[in-house]
Amino acid sequence: MDKLIIANKEFNSRLLIGTGKFSSSKVMAEAVEASGAQIVTVALRRVDITDKNDDMLAAIDRDKYLLLPNTSGARTADEAVRLSRLTRAATGINWVKLEVTPDPYYLLPDPVETLKAAEILVKEGFIVLPYINADPILSKRLQDVGTATVMPLGSPIGSNQGIKARAAIEIIIEQANVPVVVDAGLGLPSHAAEAMEMGADAVLINTAIATAAEPVKMAVGFKLAVEAGRIAYLSGAADQSKRASASSPLTGFLRNE
Amino acid sequence: MGVLKINGKETVFEENKIPATIEDLLKSLGVESATVIAELDGQIVERAKFPTTELRDGQAIELVRFVPGG
Repeated sequence: MDKLIIANKEFNSRLLIGTGKFSSSKVMAEAVEASGAQIVTVALRRVDITDKNDDMLAAIDRDKYLLLPNTSGARTADEAVRLSRLTRAATGINWVKLEVTPDPYYLLPDPVETLKAAEILVKEGFIVLPYINADPILSKRLQDVGTATVMPLGSPIGSNQGIKARAAIEIIIEQANVPVVVDAGLGLPSHAAEAMEMGADAVLINTAIATAAEPVKMAVGFKLAVEAGRIAYLSGAADQSKRASASSPLTGFLRNE
Repeated sequence: MGVLKINGKETVFEENKIPATIEDLLKSLGVESATVIAELDGQIVERAKFPTTELRDGQAIELVRFVPGG
């Protein structure tokens, strides 16, 4: 498959995977491996000093995967910037999945705070991948300040509803000059394939894999769907029509007419 | 008596028993330092400086790390 390029870095996989909600770190590590993903999102939280086995991510090989820290939990630009600076200072990772979600019910991203944070972080040298509503104008504004991607949501985080914002995502894809990653809400491999067929550059999946009855198998399902969708996009879809168009010859039937 | 605010929670230590450095604090908590990120009174402390960063009564320290997330 053709390579995904984000901020001049090449990736063989167009599936990004989140590490939340897995039943164990073992299942998580196996699912990440099976997905073929090379970009893996993580969150930053206080250490649970009462739990010696708190380090769930020990199972992820940090040399093999690009860890993409998110700013989940941030409700304002300032909080997101603080989290990003903390992460970079301590780990050297300057990639950030920027998410500013003040509304706990739908976890929809705040466009004003997201743009504000993106502007600050890009100036400070971060590679910013912002999670946004499917808003074509916001996408343009973010690209203008220098984000490395835009990541419109298909539907609310963890809802598994699929692509509810199709028309707006199509406009974003049409106008984007950075990779478009459809993030959030994709519940089935068919949703991921749909995003890729539309011309999205990549998708980010977490809940649909992590909470499947068999996460490792589902990771494979998404891997194949992303590849299929990308190949379909690159192949140029055949025309749709309202009426049937016979695939077999309409002559030489074995009857007398 | 000495007090450190660890992850937002005030933790009381007996007189002169406050861990001397961040490294000592992590050891006393049984937390593996290799994956921990620390912020002392709002200032980020590089991991390499954990053994030499001294702790004093009344300071606030945030200990964070990567956790699973989407």
